[in-house]
Amino acid sequence: MASTSSSTTPAAAEVEERGRKRKRADGAGSTAAGGAEAQPSKWRTRREHEIYSSKLLEAIRLVRAGSSSSSGSGATRGRAVREAADRALAVAARGRTHWSRAILASRRRRFQAVRRARLRAPATPPSRHNAAASAAATGQGSSAPPLAEKARMLGWLVPGCRRLSFPTLLEETTDYIEALQMQVRTMAALAEALSAISANSSSGGAGSSNSSAA
Amino acid sequence: MSGRRGSRISDDEINELISKLQALLPESSRRRSASRSSASKLLKETCSYIKSLHREVDDLSERLSGLMSTMDNDSPQAEIIRSLLR
Repeated sequence: MASTSSSTTPAAAEVEERGRKRKRADGAGSTAAGGAEAQPSKWRTRREHEIYSSKLLEAIRLVRAGSSSSSGSGATRGRAVREAADRALAVAARGRTHWSRAILASRRRRFQAVRRARLRAPATPPSRHNAAASAAATGQGSSAPPLAEKARMLGWLVPGCRRLSFPTLLEETTDYIEALQMQVRTMAALAEALSAISANSSSGGAGSSNSSAA
Repeated sequence: MSGRRGSRISDDEINELISKLQALLPESSRRRSASRSSASKLLKETCSYIKSLHREVDDLSERLSGLMSTMDNDSPQAEIIRSLLR
């Protein structure tokens, strides 16, 4: 891995190393588990990290292009980046989980709601409705009341999982946490790389107002 | 998927899912006897962990949106970024 021997800040190297260590630790486990489940450690592989990195970069480029023409205040740009990152994460899940479908559906629904309000009566998307209804019908009350309350809080936190059965909710949560961890790793690496570049360019070129946030 | 045995989910399945979830939580709060600790405590930890992850993503988004101006001036730098990430 010659490309990862970095001249960047030690923090970036640490993030890379942590990612590599995780992959090595889970690589043995996933080969032992084989094809039992649907790839439990999918979010830990280096390949997924690479795919997400390039998708994230493209998404951020789009945000930049969009905000340069319209009003680009700091807070809205940050939120636009967050939404683009979440959307890219949901796409990476390849539509197999409830939370990823919910993220993509809510985004699309926001567009279509504006459009349909002008054209004709809004049509409710049936797929999410059916999924929630069938999941609720397969059995929900297998947990004691105080547990159910915590489970409900969890359902609020994970997008699109408010009405799932308890076991399904646990599965969704597991996948969602792993995906979030990958998202954090990737965004941190990207931020380190960008700030290293800006530090280099500001020290080498004319003094710009960019300060590298270490 | 979850309707294998009719409408009752066995406790074993739930315990297995819970232990899988526990394996993901940050190791600082994990102990050997934690497998016996209440599931509700585990769920609470999971909630706060997800919230902290959300906060981290928000912070990183802010940071990235501030750094986006770096990409404006230097388009060849984007290629450098891609090669760094690979």
